[in-house]
Parts: sequence; structure tokens; C-alpha cells
Amino acid sequence: MKSFLIFFIASLAININLYAAEAGMPQLDPTYWASQAFWLILVFAILYIAISKFYLPKIKDNLDNRENKIKEDLDNANKFKDQSEVKFKEYELIMENAKKEVSKIHSDSKNILNKDIQSKKETIEKEIDKEILKAQKEILEIKKNSISSIQNISENIAANIIENISGDKLNESSIKATIKDVSKKNIGKYL
Amino acid sequence: MASNPMQQFTVHRIGPEIKIAGVDLSFTNASLFMVISASIIILFLFLGSKEKKIIPDKLQLITEMFYTFVAKMISDTAGSKAKPYFPFIFSLFMFVLLCNMVGMLPYSFTVTSHIIVTLIMALFIFVAVTIIGFIKHGFKYLTIFVPSGVPAVLLPLITVIEIISYLSRPVSLSVRLFANMMAGHTMLKVFGGFVVSLGVLGGWLPLSFSVALTGLEILVAFLQAYVFAILTCIYLNDALNLHH
Repeated sequence: MKSFLIFFIASLAININLYAAEAGMPQLDPTYWASQAFWLILVFAILYIAISKFYLPKIKDNLDNRENKIKEDLDNANKFKDQSEVKFKEYELIMENAKKEVSKIHSDSKNILNKDIQSKKETIEKEIDKEILKAQKEILEIKKNSISSIQNISENIAANIIENISGDKLNESSIKATIKDVSKKNIGKYL
Repeated sequence: MASNPMQQFTVHRIGPEIKIAGVDLSFTNASLFMVISASIIILFLFLGSKEKKIIPDKLQLITEMFYTFVAKMISDTAGSKAKPYFPFIFSLFMFVLLCNMVGMLPYSFTVTSHIIVTLIMALFIFVAVTIIGFIKHGFKYLTIFVPSGVPAVLLPLITVIEIISYLSRPVSLSVRLFANMMAGHTMLKVFGGFVVSLGVLGGWLPLSFSVALTGLEILVAFLQAYVFAILTCIYLNDALNLHH
């Protein structure tokens, strides 16, 4: 390891000595200064013209284009947002009106129906009253009729019973009179 | 492979010699790598801005990130008045960044490791900023050397210091980039040399250093491009918005 280090340092020293001996700066040799200056100015002038006339405007154009496009898109997006907000407000207004209309229609139809029901109820009630009166009359009539038919039946039954029991035939008119009498007395119970 | 760590910085001619009015303007390896860096930038921007998509693909996203990165850097440091200078600072940032990054490839040449290159860029910025300052503010621009709220006794001294600091801007700007790039690449080369000379036995330690340094140098390459650009923005801010 030690010998390696010594070898390394010695080599360094030899190299440096070698270089120091040959050292000299070609940069300070004026032979080609004019040539370098001339070619530098020529090449740089061409490069400058090419860059400033062709490439930079192109790149700038493209960058501006992109910026404008982004701006435009953002503007459009904002515009659409505003439009959609307006539309949404319109929609809300329409919805509110529709709700109002619905409730109005609802109450109107309710009123109409109520009235209709009321009037129909009244007419039906009247009709029912009429029908009741008619029915009562009919019942009365039927009752009267049934009384006379009951009188007839009871006359016949009474005549038959008397005939069977006593074997006599009684005067019809007297039976009639008796039954009339009895029925008059008891008819109040049934009427 | 040359063992001299400074070898990598030598400039040599490629192709025929071009002489205009006695000045050698030959195409060199430095010129070649400038052209390569610029071509990569142009190709990258071409592919990145070819299709104009609302949702970008990866390459488009990266170009747009560079664009917004530089745009934000300028607006943060120099405000909205600096907008006309955006293409220049964008080109400058991209050029320095790509030159630094291309220089990180093995066997390549780092354009920005030459003081003459960085000095020309820094001087151009210095002169341009000074001219912009005088155009915008006239002779009032000279008040940049006279900070407000300084006691009258100290004012001459402070003014001298301000003038020196203003004049040393191109030097500090250029030397910062050049020295960083040169030092980094020299270090990489030196450690690379150690790996070779120490061989299989001892080469592993410098190799691991080399790997770590490569990561560091990539960071430095980006950071120096950013610093170069942001200092330009700060100088521009001084010229555009004169206040103290």
C-alpha cells in the first residue's frame, strides 16, 4: 500500500513536470485571432438573423396561440357557466309557477267538486223525501185495502165458524155489522 | 494522443489559406466548431418550431422551455424595456451554451476557451450597452458613475472606483468564461493523462476523478452560459433603467 502511494505521487510529480515544461497557452498566440474574430462575427450574425427572423417569432406565435386558446376556452367556460345559471334560474321560476298553478287547480277543482256534491246531495235528498212521502201514501193505501180484505176474510171465517159450530146460517149483513164493529174497536191497535 | 494538456486548445487551419488584405482569415478548427454549434442550434430550433401544436411534443417543449427560460431571465433582471434585445440575448445564450457543450465531447474543440472569442463578445456587449445608455439617457448616462446617497467626501473616490469597475466589465465578462472553460478542460486532460500514465494499477483513482469532473464541467458549461447571459442582462438593465 505504501509503495503504491509513493508510486502514485511520483507519477503525479513526473506528469506535472512534463506538462509544466511544455506549457504554453495557444490562446495567446495571435496567428489566428483575426480568423477567429472574423468567423465568430460571421457565424453569430447568421445565427442571430436566423433566430430573430425565423425561429423566435414562430415560437412566440405558438406560445401566444396556446395562451389565447387557453384564455378563450376559459372565457367560454365562464360564459357557459353564466348561461347555465340563467337557465337554472329560469327553470326554478317555471317550477315555482307550475307549483302555484297546481295548487290553484287543486283548490279550484276541490271547490267545484264540493259544490257539485252539495247540489247533488240536495236533489237526492229532495227525491228521497218525495219517495218517502209516496211510499208512506202507498203504505197507507195498502193498509186500508188490507183492512177491507181482512174484514172480508174475517166475515167469511166468522160465518164458517158459526155455521160449523151451530149449524145455522146467519144473516150475512148482521155478521158484517158485528165485524165492522169489532174491527173499528181494534183497528187502532194495527194502524 | 498528445500528452500536453494545452494541446487541445491549439488552432489549426482546415482547408485552403484565406488572406484578405494581408489578414489571415482561414477556416480553422475553431471556425468549424462555431459552425457546428450554430448548426445544432438552428437544427434544434427548426425541428422544435416546425409543428405548431397546442399540445407540444418533446422537442417543441424543450425549445419553448429555452424560450421561456431566457424570456423570464430578461424580464426578471432588465424589465420589459429589454424586450427588443431578447433575440440577441437568446442567441448569445444558446451560442455560448452550445459551444460549451460541444466542447465537452471528446476530441472536440471548445470555442469559448479562447480569450479572443469571449473578448470580442464581451466587447461587443460593452460597446452596445454603452451606446444604448447614451441613446436612452444622453449625457445623464454618466450619472451611472455617481451613486446617490454617498457622502461628498467619498464621492471622488467612489466615482473613480465606479469608472474602473465599469471599464473592467468586458475584461471580467470575457475572462470569466474563457478561464472557466480552459481550466476545466485542462483539468480533464490532466486527469486523463494520469489515467494513462498510471495504467491499470493506479489509474482507477484519476479515472473516477475524471468522471466526476466531467459531470462538474457539464454543470459549469451550462452555468457559465447562464452567467454570461444574465450579466449581459444586468448591464443592459443599467443602461435601460438608469437608477442608483
